[in-house]
Amino acid sequence: MISFVVIILASLFFSGIIVRTKSIASGRKGPGIFQPMKDIFRLLKKGSVYSETSSFVFQIAPSIYFASVLMAIMVIPFGKSEGIISFDGDFIFFAYILALGKFFSIISAMDTGSSFEGMGASREALYSLLVEPAFFILMGSFALFTGHTSFHDIFISLHFGSYVAYALGCLATFVLIMIAMIENSRMPIDDPKTHLELTMIHEVMILDNSGFDLGLILHASNLKFAMYGALIANFFIDTLPFYLTIPIFFAVQLIFAVAVGVFESFSARFRMNHNAQFIFALTSIALLIFFGVLMVIGKFI
Amino acid sequence: MNSFQLIIASLLVLASGIFIIPFLSARLKAIVNFIFVLLISLLTSIPAVYALMGNPTELILQGTAFFGKIPLRIDALSAWFMLIINLTCINGALYGIGYMKSYQEQKTNLSVHWVLFLIFQSSMLWVCMLQQSLAFLIAWELMSLSSLFLVVFEHQKTQTLRAGMNYLVQMHIGVIFLTIGFIQIYFTEGSTDFHAIGTYFATNPNFWVFLLFFIGFGIKAGFIPLHSWLPHAHPAAPAHISGVMSGVIVKLGIYGIIRIALLLKTDLILIGESLLTLSVITAAYGILNAAIHRDLKKMLAYCTIENIGIIGSGIGLFIIGMGMNKPLLIVLGLSGALLHTLNHSLFKSLLFFTSGSVYQQTHTRDMEKLGGLVKQMPQTAIFFLIGALAIGGLPPFNGFVSEFLIYSGFLAGIRNTGLIHSTLMILSLSGFAIVGGLSLLTFTKSFGTIFLGSPRDQLHTKPHEVSLGMRIPQIVIVGIMLSIGFFPQVYFSVILHTIISIVPSFQFQDASVLSPLNNIVTLMAEIGRYSILFLILISSVILIRYSIVKKRVEQFNTTWGCGYIAPNKKMQYTGKSFSKTLGKLLGFIVSEKKRYTELSPQEIFPQSRKHSSHYTDFFEHNIIHPLTERLLFSLNYFQFIQNGRTQTYVLYGVFFIIIIFLGTLFKFI
Repeated sequence: MISFVVIILASLFFSGIIVRTKSIASGRKGPGIFQPMKDIFRLLKKGSVYSETSSFVFQIAPSIYFASVLMAIMVIPFGKSEGIISFDGDFIFFAYILALGKFFSIISAMDTGSSFEGMGASREALYSLLVEPAFFILMGSFALFTGHTSFHDIFISLHFGSYVAYALGCLATFVLIMIAMIENSRMPIDDPKTHLELTMIHEVMILDNSGFDLGLILHASNLKFAMYGALIANFFIDTLPFYLTIPIFFAVQLIFAVAVGVFESFSARFRMNHNAQFIFALTSIALLIFFGVLMVIGKFI
Repeated sequence: MNSFQLIIASLLVLASGIFIIPFLSARLKAIVNFIFVLLISLLTSIPAVYALMGNPTELILQGTAFFGKIPLRIDALSAWFMLIINLTCINGALYGIGYMKSYQEQKTNLSVHWVLFLIFQSSMLWVCMLQQSLAFLIAWELMSLSSLFLVVFEHQKTQTLRAGMNYLVQMHIGVIFLTIGFIQIYFTEGSTDFHAIGTYFATNPNFWVFLLFFIGFGIKAGFIPLHSWLPHAHPAAPAHISGVMSGVIVKLGIYGIIRIALLLKTDLILIGESLLTLSVITAAYGILNAAIHRDLKKMLAYCTIENIGIIGSGIGLFIIGMGMNKPLLIVLGLSGALLHTLNHSLFKSLLFFTSGSVYQQTHTRDMEKLGGLVKQMPQTAIFFLIGALAIGGLPPFNGFVSEFLIYSGFLAGIRNTGLIHSTLMILSLSGFAIVGGLSLLTFTKSFGTIFLGSPRDQLHTKPHEVSLGMRIPQIVIVGIMLSIGFFPQVYFSVILHTIISIVPSFQFQDASVLSPLNNIVTLMAEIGRYSILFLILISSVILIRYSIVKKRVEQFNTTWGCGYIAPNKKMQYTGKSFSKTLGKLLGFIVSEKKRYTELSPQEIFPQSRKHSSHYTDFFEHNIIHPLTERLLFSLNYFQFIQNGRTQTYVLYGVFFIIIIFLGTLFKFI
């Protein structure tokens, strides 16, 4: 339960910090960290314009997308307290719940009958398919490492005993950050601030969404960031008492957000046709983790 | 009535059906056929339900001198498949009533069709019941032949006939392998009973004989590289037949493989690993092809191959589990396979039925010509959407449950076993993840292209929602699918009992080994609960949104064209372009063949020209075609033997008699 609350809290300022970091990095004063949330609230209060081509799918899809992210957050544990949902193999449930949301966001883009949105939908489907194995190998490796298959059990029984295990934690953090960037269509894959629809992925999918629906989609994106941040934080908070873990959690979220902002300020987006290779390369890093685990538990001789 | 009487009664119903249907009017044929299918299903389901509850039937039919005694056994495994067959056939027959309405003028053709449908159902049931190789092969052959004639219903089309011939030939290659396997066992053990296979495996090497059976059954099931009949036969057949074929006939290949696998004694780990590897590749290959094809039913056929791969992975896990004596692996693998068999028969027949509805209304299977059907056929669109979500394994639908079981099997396998196994399991795990992602892409593409956007081509008639009679079976299927998604523990505990009763190594175990398995039942119950929770969450978000949005201003306008003011319908993103990047990325497996003429430099005013492109099947194009072409080339030299003259054929007979005579005379034979 506590993880659900802190993730929601973190999501409120996450993208604000990214924007603030970016503005500081580029020498601007920039908006306050709650500006993105204010924008979302403004959108939630607005009316909507729908495309004449679209059907009921277009209207229910943002809600389902939002609900799927909420459901996925419920699976995330917080240190020694379980998530609201926790069972053996819950990370499979987690991945598939998110996939359901993605399914609806893709078909809602197809629903408008626009060529641009179809293009974004196609890219989103392809990239999320390529990123999938990295996550599963990562979680499979930790399942092998700890002997458990639920998020909560895996995280509380991760014992950072040897140096190799630290390396594994760092690699896993890297993989999770990259997965978060790809899932949220951020910098090395997709530039949310690009001015050309042809080169967008996520932003072009939601061109026709407006008002309440757009607000839901934007906040779902914040929630997703905070959710991956929480997963990363779980690598480091172990089973410490809450008065320590909660500050650590927010510190990790803060560092994550600042890192995203810095990264976006100083790097350029990849060429679209190289994205596939880049994303798939994550799988090889995940495989490195797997071999690391094999080494630590002594299956490699 | 006891089981024997029930089964005999089902035969009598079949016989009376065969006699009655040809004499009815075209409209009544389908309805009467449905009633007969229902009767046969009722009669044969009763012994099946008994068997699932722990009272298997075993009968010995006194055959002729040639057959010997024919054992007829309905154990829990047979019962599970019989119930699936009956369910799918009932739905298929019901859907067929509406679907075949447009063919009512072809009266004889319809008689043959419906009579064969009855024979088809019964032969499949008999395949599950008979346990004597000769009788089994006869039932198997009857099933293949009757389904062949069901496939070629539209025999006026050459393409349909060609698909039918392809199917016929491939099925018989399969039968040859099965026959060789059975003969091998008969000559070693002197018995045609299936128990003899078990005794054979106890004393002889297992791998090669299993391979024979695997090829024989695998052709039916559609494992690569034995799958190439599927993408031809399914598009050719009428929708209700494709639904039944994809739903159950390929599953009988799975039935055969499980049946043989249960009898294995040695080489288990090797067989399990090979099967698991092949299955994961099959799944990935199948769904990759499904992603790029534009023929709706071809896409579904390839998707069947994917699901066979998923089921096969479960069986592979189960065989590895038997080899290592790990009850958890056995249960997770086999229960995943069995449950996915049921699940796939449900959502695949649902998808084939919706594709049939689309075909009936638009007369095309080409996705690129469709679009925007959600406005005219909203219910069909929802059925397709539900089928697509379920087949992608997305919660809260049933596909997730069975895939989850197999995923858990992989995770259990990672922990339990050595280095090679850990690597194999993690690669399978990631393979499944890719398959899941690809099926997301495939079905968003299909749903998006067929049902969303605006129509891409002018259709001859305006499509309408299909009749209620065609929608009822789909509603029934969706209901069952949701029940599996929400209450998986009910289905799982039935399967658990099935597994405990059929897996040989479980039969002498005490309760302490089996009690941890009950944890999976609670796990299943949890998944069901969370699926319901998920549905509640989704509906409450939608409701909250609705209650807020209805007070707001709502406008309708054209789609934002990014500044372009004259977009037309042809500019929509097509299904082909949707999967084009993927096709290019994996072009070495799914190669695209284009046909067009280049513009020459002299052509200042180019004439209108055609450009066509299609994707080729890797195995068919690179292995099967070259092989058959070589064969044809050399066999051409022997064409003189078959010259069409009766006299020569008589001469061949005389030669044969003389050879036999001389052979016996000099004791060669």
